[in-house]
Amino acid sequence: MPELTNEPTTATNTVGIAFIVDYLLTKRPDLDSIDPDLDLIESRVLDSLGFVNFLYALEEHTGREISLDQVSPEDFRTVNRIAARFLHDVAND
Amino acid sequence: MPPDLAADATGATDERFKTVLDRLITMSQRDYYDPYTLFDWPESLPEDAWWMSPELLTLHNTEYGKTLTEKQLRAVSRWESLNFYSLNVHGIRELLTEMIARIHTDEFALPSEYFHHVIGEENEHMWFFAKFCLNYGRIYPNRAMAFAGPGIPEADHFLVFSRLLIFEEIVDVFNQKMGVDDRLHPTIQQVNQVHHQDESRHIAFGRQAVALLHARLRDTLGQGELAELERYLKQYMRSSVDSMVSPAVYRDAGLPEPYQVRRAVLADPAHEDYTRTVLRRSVSFMVNEKIFSDDRIPPACPN
Ligand SMILES: [Fe+2]
Ligand SMILES: [Fe+2]
Repeated sequence: MPELTNEPTTATNTVGIAFIVDYLLTKRPDLDSIDPDLDLIESRVLDSLGFVNFLYALEEHTGREISLDQVSPEDFRTVNRIAARFLHDVAND
Repeated sequence: MPPDLAADATGATDERFKTVLDRLITMSQRDYYDPYTLFDWPESLPEDAWWMSPELLTLHNTEYGKTLTEKQLRAVSRWESLNFYSLNVHGIRELLTEMIARIHTDEFALPSEYFHHVIGEENEHMWFFAKFCLNYGRIYPNRAMAFAGPGIPEADHFLVFSRLLIFEEIVDVFNQKMGVDDRLHPTIQQVNQVHHQDESRHIAFGRQAVALLHARLRDTLGQGELAELERYLKQYMRSSVDSMVSPAVYRDAGLPEPYQVRRAVLADPAHEDYTRTVLRRSVSFMVNEKIFSDDRIPPACPN
């Protein structure tokens, strides 16, 4: 069984991070890039109103329904955290 | 800040508000019923019937909806009906949480007696909506996540009661139509009808509370902050309407590419008509009370 990892430097996560960053950049065309450790909530890249679309994009990308009962806004605070929480084992499914 | 929700310098508003509250309490006592024995819950409901008025479906009049058979649309109506009650369950959770946080605090001394009625009634609504979902399908998971609001602490109560009012007004658009729609199973009609009856009182209260709280904010906030509140509430309306457009519903109804369906619906001009139908009453209230400067709601964002 492949090893699951939360390290953001694995190949899977590089793809995942690129997906998240690309998505968020289409939301915020005023930004040139998004640091994977940028606080997305503080900087208003993510807010509760744009959140649902992002959630659906993540679900579509991973092919899995995400239940919000088990997650908190903290899980969405940075690109790295999102990747670690939702994308780390996509390639192993 | 005045000691309770309604007090102003003259006490005049206070008197009017108190009269409304007394009337609502009397009505609530008069209309009291036992939800646990009121409803007839058949073992199952016919799966190939309309579960929601077809004109209220998110796919109504959309280009994609026109490509589906009536059988497929009826399947969508079944899961969309269940999603509607699920949104009620989650919305009521927020409502109860916020009301319980305020009942019998100094600022809400005056409406607290009425809050007891609302809290009791909403507990019962949550029970019958959840029961419907669990009997005949499932409770769809909550898709809303609470991030920080517009960052105007003085407007906290106003925003809470505005959100609750908008939620109740949207739900009531569906309840009013579905409560008397003979195409729907009697149990579906009954759930909607009973809820509409109670909500007409809650909405009357909500309108009074929101108007009073905003009148007070107009004395203390600047134009920029008031405009920010308007912007926030309009976005809230938009995301509330769009929460009916659910990929999980389309998937359960057997439609392929459910995320693509959601994007197509949100991008369809018919979705603007849907938005107007669902929001008409709450937007005109907000405009009449000068809480909104116009009736324009931000467009849906498909991506
Ligand atoms: Fe209710
Ligand atoms: Fe209510």
